[in-house]
Amino acid sequence: MTDLAELSMTEAADAFARGEVKAEALVRACLARVDAHDPKLNVTIRLDREAALDAAAAADQARAVGIKAGPLAGVPMMHKDMYYRQGRVSTCGSKIRKDFVADKTATVLLKLDAAGAIDMGTLNMAEFAQNPTGHNAHYGHCHNPWNLDYCTGGSSSGSGSGVAGRLFYAALGSDTGGSIRLPASICGITGLKATQTRVSRHGVMPLSFSADNVGPLVRTAKDAARFLAVTAGPDPKDATSAPEAVPDYEAALDGDLRGLRVAVCSTWFLDGADAPVLAAFEAALQVLKDRGATVDYVAAPSMPAIATYVSVLSRVEGAAIHANWMREYPQDYAIHLNARLFGGYSIPGHYYVEALARRGPLLKQFVAETLTGYDLVATPTVKTRVPTLAETDIDENPANWSRFMAVSANTRPFNYLGLPTISIPCGFDDRGLPVGLQLAGRPFAESTVLKAADAYQRITDWHQRSPLL
Amino acid sequence: MEPEIVLPTMEAIRRWSGVECPNAAARLGLADMAGLIADMEKLRGTMVFEDEPSSFELALRQCKEPAK
Repeated sequence: MTDLAELSMTEAADAFARGEVKAEALVRACLARVDAHDPKLNVTIRLDREAALDAAAAADQARAVGIKAGPLAGVPMMHKDMYYRQGRVSTCGSKIRKDFVADKTATVLLKLDAAGAIDMGTLNMAEFAQNPTGHNAHYGHCHNPWNLDYCTGGSSSGSGSGVAGRLFYAALGSDTGGSIRLPASICGITGLKATQTRVSRHGVMPLSFSADNVGPLVRTAKDAARFLAVTAGPDPKDATSAPEAVPDYEAALDGDLRGLRVAVCSTWFLDGADAPVLAAFEAALQVLKDRGATVDYVAAPSMPAIATYVSVLSRVEGAAIHANWMREYPQDYAIHLNARLFGGYSIPGHYYVEALARRGPLLKQFVAETLTGYDLVATPTVKTRVPTLAETDIDENPANWSRFMAVSANTRPFNYLGLPTISIPCGFDDRGLPVGLQLAGRPFAESTVLKAADAYQRITDWHQRSPLL
Repeated sequence: MEPEIVLPTMEAIRRWSGVECPNAAARLGLADMAGLIADMEKLRGTMVFEDEPSSFELALRQCKEPAK
């Protein structure tokens, strides 16, 4: 094995399980990448170097004496700095919580620990997970590994940039309006938002409790399948978590696209899309068709209502949970964030109730419109070319607001609908920045979403391309 | 010129929530709320009397993939 950092998460885990590589070697390979490239990418907030090496030594020792390894044993990861670990600071990317010490550990971290994953530390992110570009006024902006002048996508900016830059094998992100799928698309990796309620949110910083999701940024759909299998399932500490059994997602990955039926919404998701993005998207559809899938264009007349209500929901919930700090420390937020939160206080309560009450009927309507006779809906993850950091910096220039918000136009609706959705790389734009393909399925149909994404990745190599750092 | 909606909305937020307008960008954002009001106006009449938030969790279960 020449370059351990180039392995995917599952390749690293399987190599460790077979005794072909030591956990210490995996950790040292990642630490070397962090040392070499974090000064350029600005990915980490906290690096627990010695603790990671100690954990690796323990994993190697356990394997040496024949203790059965967990499915993620020996694999170094870092996570968005909003997953609480008891006794550790979770900044949430903010000044307000720069010294906040958690009194509990997130269920999802406990599950990763139990699976043998090695936690190397915490990652930069948009302040309180509230922007789609990854700008951060307090810890500095993350940079896109494909071109340092470009944004990473947010809010899981460090997760996207770090996994794409081969600094670690996997990272937790969170997704309330696209915050896993956007950095996955923009940094050229794979990101999965599962069905709303699929993964416990206990011990995770809230943003908009109706739409918050926990999930991975990784290199492949197979990685996402294993990561989800470890982290999904009911949790008595999260009353909203779904009781559904967790299937063997990896077992569903058979590479077969024959018979898969894909719907493409002829309006909304493609409206105003940039030509290079459309070209990559259409080429991806052609790949699916060439391997036996059918692709049809359908109408989705419910989209304007969905887009309106998702905006109401996230803004009101965000405003409510930040009200105390907005009264006491408004100057401690970045300009773009307190500006966005402020508008939330003007939205009437009955709008909010309407947005919540219409969610079930609109989910049924959207499924009837787009998934009757189809397995998946396909869209570009981001319909515009990747913007530069300067083009979307609204602290410097509020006139950039529309460009800033356009980044998440195609991802936000799926948070309102609660549907499982993945972003996988499907090409590059004319400036050499990645383009993402977004696939959404019916509730709890993560296996179908992952199967299609994995099959696509078996016959394309976009996900294997590495940025030159 | 600043839209009419901005000043009275700032005053309403101050009264109802005790939050002051933090900066010019927030003021600009309030001007944009006219768009949201227009979008919500278009949806008037779609919510029916019995609609309630718990219908979402039910819909998640009802819209699952048919058994293969």
